[in-house]
Amino acid sequence: MSTFDKNAVEESVRLKESSSGSVTIITVGRSDAKKTVKEALAMGGDRGYLVVSAEPDPHDSLTTAYLLARAIERAGPFDLVLCAEGSSDVYAGQVGPMLSEWLALPFLGYVRKVEIKDRVIRCEQTLEESVRVLEAELPALVSVMSEINEPRYPTLLQIMQASKKPIEEVGSELLIDGRAPPRLVTTVGMTAHAMSRKRVIFEGSPEATSRKLVEALRSEGVLKR
Amino acid sequence: MPLFKPEHRQLLKMLHPAREEEVSDVLSGLAAFMEEKISPLSPKFDSLAEKITSARKSLLENGICLIPYPSRYGGLELPFSAYTTAIELAGAADASVALSVAIHNTVADGIFLFGNEAQKKTYLPGIISGKKLASFSLTEPASGSDAKAVRTKARRVGMEYVLNGTKMFITNAGEADLYFVLGATEKGPSSFIVEKSAPGLEFGEDLPKLGMRGSRTSELRLTDCRISAENLVGREGEGFEQVKTMLNSSRIVMGALCVGVAQVAYEKAVTYSKERKAFGGRISDFQLTREKVADMVTGISAARLLCLYASRLKEMGLEFSSEASQAKVFATETSVRVCDQVIQIFGGLGYTSEDVHRHWRDARLLTIGEGTSEVLRMLIASRELAKSL
Amino acid sequence: MNSVAREVATAGRELAESLSGEQLFVVTERSRAGEGAGKVLLVDGGEEVEGDPDLIAEALARAATKKRPSAILVGATRTGRIVAARLAAKLRLGCLSDVYRLRLQGTSIVGDRDVFAGKVVAEVKADLPCVATVKVGTYPMMSEGRTGLEVEEVGSLHRGVRLVETLEKRESTTDLRGASVIVSAGRGFRTKEDLRLAEDLAKALGGALGCSRPLSSDYGWLPEELHIGLTGVTVKPSLYFALGISGQLQHVAGIKESKVIAAVNTDRDAPIFQVADYGIVGDLYQVVPAILEILKG
Repeated sequence: MSTFDKNAVEESVRLKESSSGSVTIITVGRSDAKKTVKEALAMGGDRGYLVVSAEPDPHDSLTTAYLLARAIERAGPFDLVLCAEGSSDVYAGQVGPMLSEWLALPFLGYVRKVEIKDRVIRCEQTLEESVRVLEAELPALVSVMSEINEPRYPTLLQIMQASKKPIEEVGSELLIDGRAPPRLVTTVGMTAHAMSRKRVIFEGSPEATSRKLVEALRSEGVLKR
Repeated sequence: MPLFKPEHRQLLKMLHPAREEEVSDVLSGLAAFMEEKISPLSPKFDSLAEKITSARKSLLENGICLIPYPSRYGGLELPFSAYTTAIELAGAADASVALSVAIHNTVADGIFLFGNEAQKKTYLPGIISGKKLASFSLTEPASGSDAKAVRTKARRVGMEYVLNGTKMFITNAGEADLYFVLGATEKGPSSFIVEKSAPGLEFGEDLPKLGMRGSRTSELRLTDCRISAENLVGREGEGFEQVKTMLNSSRIVMGALCVGVAQVAYEKAVTYSKERKAFGGRISDFQLTREKVADMVTGISAARLLCLYASRLKEMGLEFSSEASQAKVFATETSVRVCDQVIQIFGGLGYTSEDVHRHWRDARLLTIGEGTSEVLRMLIASRELAKSL
Repeated sequence: MNSVAREVATAGRELAESLSGEQLFVVTERSRAGEGAGKVLLVDGGEEVEGDPDLIAEALARAATKKRPSAILVGATRTGRIVAARLAAKLRLGCLSDVYRLRLQGTSIVGDRDVFAGKVVAEVKADLPCVATVKVGTYPMMSEGRTGLEVEEVGSLHRGVRLVETLEKRESTTDLRGASVIVSAGRGFRTKEDLRLAEDLAKALGGALGCSRPLSSDYGWLPEELHIGLTGVTVKPSLYFALGISGQLQHVAGIKESKVIAAVNTDRDAPIFQVADYGIVGDLYQVVPAILEILKG
């Protein structure tokens, strides 16, 4: 589970703990994603729902959001959907807003604080230039920033208890209906970013090492004087 | 490198195929916790820049000691080999924290096996959940491995026992809430649970040590120390047998701890040897380095297996004291040898970096503590010679 | 037009040359598009739309349904990403996010984007018509100018999310993306006051101050726009000086294009040393004053 997702799971468990209710963990992935669902259950989720899909294209957020929307429809009534600010692999941040569109929910993104009172959710959203306080009526969808909390490490007992919590697995073909979007985005290829760095390391006294460093930077021509 | 490796997974699968997933989930969760919360602090514990107190507490609260105990005490009811492996991983994360926790759990073991219902109810949940810290107080200035010769006296006076004596080199002394103390009564060596608040109980200064510096080691001084007679564990005179049993399990665990220390040191040496260039090549290209790598990994594998073998015998309810001693002797001595070679591979950098030599310094305790190698060899040999082959 | 919109305008103009039909350029505030940007539509949803991604998306969707653009480009700010994603879902269009080097390939648009925290470059493709968010800092800004604009008005819009208040409007004082020397601070700094050392070094080198995410987001010692990394700013200075930064992938993703990377860290095994050209294993509290001494003399 990426750390971004852990923040979302942690926040949902905290919200459950401060009021009452249940947390359902939903993911789309290969069948080995069950392990990740278990980790989330160990953190405090109550049940899991895995949409098994063979190699979804990580850039095809529209299809992922659609499958999640279908899974949520099947999983039952809910008040709030939480997700990460982005995935740790492609970090596009699209699934959240797309999912909110599919489910016709208000979307509060890039949130660093969540409060719920009387069926109204109030969030602090961090944008590049400002922090905005937003409100919406439940049900709603929120994407959380990693600053929002420090995810807990489940105790060994919680890890063992997670094995007993139910996880439903559904093949993605079973969820696809007439509303499914066509696959419009594909990943054509991936190339490793070539980063050849000199990796010269200086060890020794601060005086000696800083002298060597300044000399090296001078010879690189990056020092103005 | 992750602490919980495919090798561990494989071995545990061989030992307990039906419980493989459970055991792996728990140990990889534990490993992830220690990688984040314990390993990064290791250099600070060694340099005394930080105490292990809060890291140890969070490790105990995470549940490491619950692994082998029954669920009625809040335990996970997992096989003993899972606990052995957990301490190996803890040893790789930080040897001092692992030592402190392992010693603490030896006391839990003692109370679990030999305590009466009242004692178990009073003390066990607190200890295994990590709310209370325990200390195993056996060694004395005049008797280390020679437990029968215990000099601390315990005199029955009405509803109390009065203890007099000195215990030496006690891990967790001063920090622990409970002390498992061996004292001599009229009927022979006996075990007592002494709470920190008992009158007449004092602790010495933390002793400076070669290694295992994060773990507190000092004297216990019992001067007319009065405890309730209800704190006698079992019956008078049973202490020696009790302690022997406790040490059997604890020796396996100490061996595993050393395997962890050796593993982490070994990995550092391998990484270094692949980067470090000399004489126009990497030092990992040289035959003599390769010989060291082969010998180190072979020793670590063999040590790990001996510890798991002894663990499995214990799980099956079979006699395992000789195998436990073999595991401890072999694993601790191998670990010292491996850590020594690791310093050699690092060369001058090894001699001058705490990050390298601390592993040897940490491992070096354990050919001495919990039964010296010499004493354990005597035990192993006398058992062998008593067999009719 | 703000700087991000001007970059997007440039991206659009490049594509416009190969595309027939109209393109819509989104500006995330009400203002004018630049000259020579091709056929540009300014979508006016009224004052309430300002900065509200849901409303912008809805306004755009209505306009797009009428005007049928080949592509809709949005700057990949946080708001922009939300706008683009919702719009794509509304219109059932493919959406490329945080892309650069956009080009036309037959009836698709292809772009590059950084994945795996910048370790890998992925080439992604979407069939036209599509939406795309353009990675900030990857296109030069179009010069300001005036143009005859066709203004598309949309009716009143539904608000699902209410803006209660804006807490901090942080003025953008530095644009790190243009800096040629950056001194960056990480968790090796023990207090906010100690950042003075980093500031002094930045001044001595004639450069700007930046930081890794914990210092802006967790500690709040520096404003968000100085946060360099995957979820912050991407920089490409001639010299990037990392002080007390461990070198997590998320941070390194933002500095890969630097010409020379120098680092100071007490931990010999810190990942930053794998990506630095020159590194000092040492305490920045001692090394930085030593460097300052040398630069003085």
